[in-house]
Amino acid sequence: MTRAIEAGHLAKKYVIGGVKEANYRTLRDSIAGFVRRRGASPRRETIWALRDVSFTVERGEVMGIIGRNGAGKSTLLKILSRITEPTSGMARLYGRSGSLLEVGTGFHPELSGRENIFLNGAILGMRRAEIARKLDEIVAFAEIGQFLDTPVKRYSSGMYVRLAFAVAAHLETEILIVDEVLAVGDASFQRKCLNKMEDVGHHGRTILFVSHNLASITRLCPRAMLIDAGRVVRDGPAHEVVRFYLHSDLGTTAARQWLDDAEAPGDEVARLRAVRVRSDGEVAAKIDIHRGVDIELEWEALEPGHVLVPNLHFQNEEGLVVFVSSDLDPEWRRREREPGRYVSTAHIPGNFLAEGTLVVSAAVSTMDPVRVHFYERDAVAFEVVDVLGAETARGDYGAPIPGVVRPLLPWTNEFIPAAAPVTRSQR
Amino acid sequence: MSAVEPRPIVIAPSSGWRSIDLREVWEYRELLFILVWRDIKVRYRQTLLGVLWVVAQPLLTAVIFTVLFNRVAKIDAGGGVPYSLFVMVALVPWSFFAAGVSASGNSLIGSSHLISKVYFPRVIVPAASVLSGFVDMAVTLALVIVMSLVYRAGVPPQVIFLPVAILICALFAFGIGMWLSALNVEYRDIRVIIPFLLQLWMYATPVVYPLRVVPEKYRWVALINPMTGIVETFRAAMLGGAIPWPQLGYSVAVMAVVLVSGAFYFRRMERLFADVL
Repeated sequence: MTRAIEAGHLAKKYVIGGVKEANYRTLRDSIAGFVRRRGASPRRETIWALRDVSFTVERGEVMGIIGRNGAGKSTLLKILSRITEPTSGMARLYGRSGSLLEVGTGFHPELSGRENIFLNGAILGMRRAEIARKLDEIVAFAEIGQFLDTPVKRYSSGMYVRLAFAVAAHLETEILIVDEVLAVGDASFQRKCLNKMEDVGHHGRTILFVSHNLASITRLCPRAMLIDAGRVVRDGPAHEVVRFYLHSDLGTTAARQWLDDAEAPGDEVARLRAVRVRSDGEVAAKIDIHRGVDIELEWEALEPGHVLVPNLHFQNEEGLVVFVSSDLDPEWRRREREPGRYVSTAHIPGNFLAEGTLVVSAAVSTMDPVRVHFYERDAVAFEVVDVLGAETARGDYGAPIPGVVRPLLPWTNEFIPAAAPVTRSQR
Repeated sequence: MSAVEPRPIVIAPSSGWRSIDLREVWEYRELLFILVWRDIKVRYRQTLLGVLWVVAQPLLTAVIFTVLFNRVAKIDAGGGVPYSLFVMVALVPWSFFAAGVSASGNSLIGSSHLISKVYFPRVIVPAASVLSGFVDMAVTLALVIVMSLVYRAGVPPQVIFLPVAILICALFAFGIGMWLSALNVEYRDIRVIIPFLLQLWMYATPVVYPLRVVPEKYRWVALINPMTGIVETFRAAMLGGAIPWPQLGYSVAVMAVVLVSGAFYFRRMERLFADVL
């Protein structure tokens, strides 16, 4: 077999923090920093997004890359796409490569569908002649028909996404690097794209595919690689790697605690001690969708005389805040807390959350005026797993279900026989 | 296995000083052209007056300058040239240069969404910004030709040197654009400095006044300014007079230094763009 991708000891270091939160500086800062000399050097943290990643991919192989958020998947794709350089290590790509880290990159709202096809195609690395040849196919695939010469700002969001996908799906490089792009678009169109990619995969094309959707990984990729904390944890047949991932705690951090006073988030009023995710009393990272889950916040009140309100913020893997919940326990509502330790627990009922990872941020605040004593971003995370066989909101539907929550709602039906001349709503 | 193994793409940390990979830029020429085309198309489609604005802008600028510097400040063009034509000719290279420097200087930041998602030689971004200014310049140039036909007997034979002057002007704007855009990624206050710098530079260049009215003791300011040679060459080419070869030669030398050093600096900073933007 022929090599398509060779990666050896790839590592990537990011420097974060510093004088400002942002990565860039201003001349003013540099000059001011120079004047101050090296007195108080700004605290700069380095993070190794990737450390020592090696693998090879043969030509025609389709490999999925999985791992939790921040594991280093995107960094790896960015390096292989040549968007960013590795700090050390090297990789070789044999053949023309293309990357889809996003669909519709460079789309301009003022330009027409046709113009955007050429623009986006060129940005993705397609030749003008190649785009011209595939134009009809792209238009048909996108189902935009008579709107081809309409500025895309007048497109519905569905049309816009379909057009963006259509161009992407026609990128026919020998090596294709795909990030999570299939996370948008309606279900039937997603399926069409997957099929198209699968098609091309059978033509000796090498594909690297990152996704949170484990089902599409096992369906599309014979091989998968699991990355965690910047390292390759597992590499092998996709179903094995996915199974390993699901049974490990890698997808989540279900409990965290702070033993050291200096490191615990907080101020002089309140301090965070631990956050835990529990199901049936046990700390758990994977929660069956039909079971309830308890989020436990252990914290200390340090100063008397404050009405302290613990609150939790839930975000899904797209970063969308699904909901925020505050402690309204009547026993402590509007009542000053005496100094000491508290364990505040929020119960989320089963059959309410959608499947996927939920990241929990934990805080304790004072109301009126609002003051935040600590806010620990992304304190813990857990994964809601859809299970077959239990009574869930999924019912008998087998395909992926969109939506940020998936409550099991009581439905009722009223049968109105066809013969009845007057319906209720007309009365 | 095929007999001819294609050259693999090697991904490794870069180090040291390298110049722009011209061969690679050539491979991506279609992207360059389509970005230029997009800039032009969007610019004229978005503005209310569209193409009319392209004509109105240099005309209004010339009118304002004529009132201010000719009528009020009593600066005379000399040589029987109407002041409005005199200033308009200088605006052709100057506006092109200023627009090119300011657009390319801010170009990388404006294209951060592309840079963080797709690979291509980054130098295409400032290059496209300079190139898309050609349309505006062509329109202004056409106006100057019309004015020359109205006021005078058309353009002199020296006009054949005009393309050379345009090329020098474009490359100079591009060289500065490479420097500023790369600096701009790291130091965001460059964005604020650019307009100020350009304004100061315009008054240090004989755009609104002829070189001969500059007092002897300040003459050096105009002479070390590489834009002087370019603007004066435009005037000679359009209004008649000797092409100031020594000054133009000096402009070319400065342009070459800025261009080459810009290419190296840009290339050195290029690897950081995606991480910082």
